[in-house]
Amino acid sequence: MISIENEKLRNAVKIVVPFLAVPMLVVLGATLFDERRHIIISIGVALLALVLFAAGYEKKPIGSRRMIIAAVIIAFCVAGRFIPFFKPITALTVISAVYLGGETGFLIGAMSAFLSNFYFGQGPWTPFQMLAWGMIGLIAGILAKPLKSHRAVLLVYGVLAGIFYSLIMDVWTVVWYDGSFRAELYLTAIITALPHTIMYSVSNCIFMWFMAKPLGEKLERVKIKYRI
Amino acid sequence: MRTFADSNPIVVSVYFVAVTSIAMFSANPVISAISLIGAIVLFLMTNEKKEVSTHLFSLLLFAVMAVVNPLVSHNGATVLFVINNNPITLEAFIYGVCTSATVVAVLYWFRSFTIVMTSDKLLYLFGAFSPKLALILSMALRYVSLFSVQLKKVQASQKALGLYKDDNIIDSFKGGMRVFSIMITWALENGIITADSMTARGYGTGKRSRFSLFHFKIDDVILLCMIPIFSAVALYGIVGAKFEFYPYFSVPEISMKLAAAYISYGVMILLPVIINIKEELKWKYLKSKI
Amino acid sequence: MEILKVKNLNFKYPLADSQAISNINFSVNSGEFITVCGATGSGKSTLLRLLKREIAPVGEVSGEIFFDSVSVSKLTAEKSASGIGFVMQNPEHQIVTDTVWHELAFGLENLNLPQNVMAGRIAETASYFGIEEWYDKKVSELSGGQKQLLCLAAVMVMNPEIIILDEPTAQLDPIAASEFIGTLKKINRELSLTVILSEHRLEDAITVCDKLLVLENGSVKAFDAPQKIVGELDERLLRGMPAAVRLFHAVDGRGKCPLDIRDGRHFIETNFGNRITALPKTEYACSEKPAMCFKDVYFRYDRNYPDVLRGLSFTVYENEIFCILGGNGSGKTTALSVASNIVKPYSGTVEIFEKKLKEYKNQSLYRNCLTVLPQDVQTVFMRNTVREELEGAESEAEMLPLDLEKLMDKHPYDLSGGEQQLVALAKVLAAKPKLLLLDEPTKGIDADSKYQLTDILRRLKSDGMTIVIVTHDTEFACDCADRCAMFFRGEIVSADTPREFFSGNNFYTTAISRMTRGVYRDAVSIADAVELCRLNKAVE
Repeated sequence: MISIENEKLRNAVKIVVPFLAVPMLVVLGATLFDERRHIIISIGVALLALVLFAAGYEKKPIGSRRMIIAAVIIAFCVAGRFIPFFKPITALTVISAVYLGGETGFLIGAMSAFLSNFYFGQGPWTPFQMLAWGMIGLIAGILAKPLKSHRAVLLVYGVLAGIFYSLIMDVWTVVWYDGSFRAELYLTAIITALPHTIMYSVSNCIFMWFMAKPLGEKLERVKIKYRI
Repeated sequence: MRTFADSNPIVVSVYFVAVTSIAMFSANPVISAISLIGAIVLFLMTNEKKEVSTHLFSLLLFAVMAVVNPLVSHNGATVLFVINNNPITLEAFIYGVCTSATVVAVLYWFRSFTIVMTSDKLLYLFGAFSPKLALILSMALRYVSLFSVQLKKVQASQKALGLYKDDNIIDSFKGGMRVFSIMITWALENGIITADSMTARGYGTGKRSRFSLFHFKIDDVILLCMIPIFSAVALYGIVGAKFEFYPYFSVPEISMKLAAAYISYGVMILLPVIINIKEELKWKYLKSKI
Repeated sequence: MEILKVKNLNFKYPLADSQAISNINFSVNSGEFITVCGATGSGKSTLLRLLKREIAPVGEVSGEIFFDSVSVSKLTAEKSASGIGFVMQNPEHQIVTDTVWHELAFGLENLNLPQNVMAGRIAETASYFGIEEWYDKKVSELSGGQKQLLCLAAVMVMNPEIIILDEPTAQLDPIAASEFIGTLKKINRELSLTVILSEHRLEDAITVCDKLLVLENGSVKAFDAPQKIVGELDERLLRGMPAAVRLFHAVDGRGKCPLDIRDGRHFIETNFGNRITALPKTEYACSEKPAMCFKDVYFRYDRNYPDVLRGLSFTVYENEIFCILGGNGSGKTTALSVASNIVKPYSGTVEIFEKKLKEYKNQSLYRNCLTVLPQDVQTVFMRNTVREELEGAESEAEMLPLDLEKLMDKHPYDLSGGEQQLVALAKVLAAKPKLLLLDEPTKGIDADSKYQLTDILRRLKSDGMTIVIVTHDTEFACDCADRCAMFFRGEIVSADTPREFFSGNNFYTTAISRMTRGVYRDAVSIADAVELCRLNKAVE
């Protein structure tokens, strides 16, 4: 057994490995196997990742106050999805993750996707959205320090998150449409989705720019007041 | 009267998962066609409103997806015509039609799923494997409705305070951020009351149990047993019979096995309809006795 | 049997200079109904929260609390959670889940009870509290009174031996508030459940309770049957007392102090004659210039909904204080929204200072003209301190007739209800309005703050402001209004000076008016009654 001495690194690895490894497996699996039907595999793998996370979360005792904060932010994300064109969901997830940690970030991202689909329609795409937004939150939690101290880093992260989200959802589009993963279709999907990608990135930046300070301050105060 | 939608949510979900998975897995045009018809019938049955726009959208999606495949994929031997030196083939077109039928069918299935599985049913389902996350979702759901009420109040009070100087976009964006700021403070600060109310009622003392309004009735058990049987028969038949699209479109020979697969998938697709009609008849009979 | 015993309890908040609770001793017997009263800051909430281990405030504690002869800190988690029930002020924020049934189940789920046990307990609780009909509803569909009842039931389902309630009626309208106290009386009498209740409004609670616990500056001023205490109270504590008690003190009554309306009337009848039944008539003169004028206004929220305002017509003149009273859902608040141009009527016109609302272009209505203090004042707070809040609004604190200096560095949400109201008022006044609209300004604030508010409104009026108030609170309207109006089903059915208005009403009127009905003709406030009693005493 390899043991990692640094606790932070150990935690990061513990979290990143399943969540980074899983989507990569999806893509790899879809390209390496010849037949279609990879859609079932990929949905299965995505669900598995989510179940793994839920199981981990279920075991840990979580204080009522942390749960409340998570529920509040999730509700804001859901409400935010009703805003036309500009969606604050990524910005909210990222900023909360920076202050509350990666695990809560993943929870907020994934649950927001799930809950908002109560209103926007559930489908086989739900696990992918959950995974995509969850990961954005998770990584933001791991990069909390630089994201908190430099606004520029935060904005770059916003752009990357927009692109990342698009790329994951494009994988899904292709797999869903074709049943397998074909590079030329993926490219077509990326190009067709380009306006959306730009929209995501731009709105992420706008919301992060304006929300970082007020939301950060309030989360900081609540963290002290709630003692979490 | 206990319609299909009133069955235990676990049973309903298993049904939807089975039906859609087989459709997506099969790559079999016949199965896709059955699935599409069944999905539309169920959608019409569960949805009381006439959603013309939904059907139009599906039709459009169907058409676009059917056309995209031959434009992207140039496999296939039967060239219909050539655009920009790219051959458009019949096989690619057939393939496109088949996949879009599957995709549209799954879309319809999930539309019905969203209608049938109301939030409390989904929470019940979710709670089965993660009670804690289900609780968070339940809390968040409550907040969504609470926030929409509070949002209107905040907007009104901000307007009456004279904080919107002019009627332009920048001003209303600033106003929006102010409203957001007020809302988030309100929600987080008052959240401590909710948290106290949770702890005061023993949250966090140990293991939680789960109360639910849903029960397993004998009908649910029967339905739950039928689904894997039908699925197994369908899958067994489909796996052996392979449709070839490229270079030539070829249909597998119809065998007992395959016929059984089609019939069993067809019956499975019609289960909700059968249950609803059965319940309707039973109810008419019972009503006549009242 | 002694169920709760508090012994030498002291408590100090971190960073505070003085003790929040000092040397408190008392004990409660099983089945007793205790009402805790005292001004804001007297330590009511702190004391009640200390009794419930899970939500006890953090700070330096000394002394001991025994529940069922066991120290509270040594109780098992289950016993502590289910044995001591706690209901807080705001029902909106106490509710955890999204449906009624789940809220009822929440506490039982935490105790890890099996499904069939939960089902039985929930069923009997829901039937006892009359929740059966709305068992399946979403919490968001309930009224305020129903929500608070749900909070009570959600605690009661856990089968507590004692229930503690911290100002549970503060956010409710008077009708829902007395119904709630009625329910508490019922569970106390029928189930012999021990109740500890803290209240601002003692009108209903005082007649129900066995003992009154009076707190002042963190220590117990008195702890005895209400009858034995109310005879000797100082002015500050008196303000929160029922009208009968205040009248008794105002006329320097001797003997047994009356507590409710019935006893109050008996007290007047036996001690004072009624040869003079009316006060000398005073003419009310107001300005001729209208400040706000509704002409045949119709409004509904949606094409398919019923009318909320049905031909509403009334005029408020410059420099008067005009109070609109009426039940829940009568359309009072909607009328304010129409007046402030938040929603638009589909028929009829509204004029502010003789200019139609439509003619106020580009938000000019809200500049030095009209402003609204909303019912929920938390909708105006967005900064971290009161100082930032007021500076952000460009409000010059010295210009205001309020003393906010000691609140300046606090977070708005850390203030009491009354203080929040004052800060919000200061913020609203920064726009230098000529016409001020207030929506339920007395909701959730204590008697002291109410006096302060009346005083401030009077001063604003003397500076030339016109004030329109929507309220449930008849006593407050009687004390501060120049004219009162009754709102019913979307229109104003009567309007007059408070004396004419309240002496003309039989049910919807002040406690004094109900008390003196049939004895005197137009006594509506304590001052009126005192004057009439004095006149009659002199004649005899």
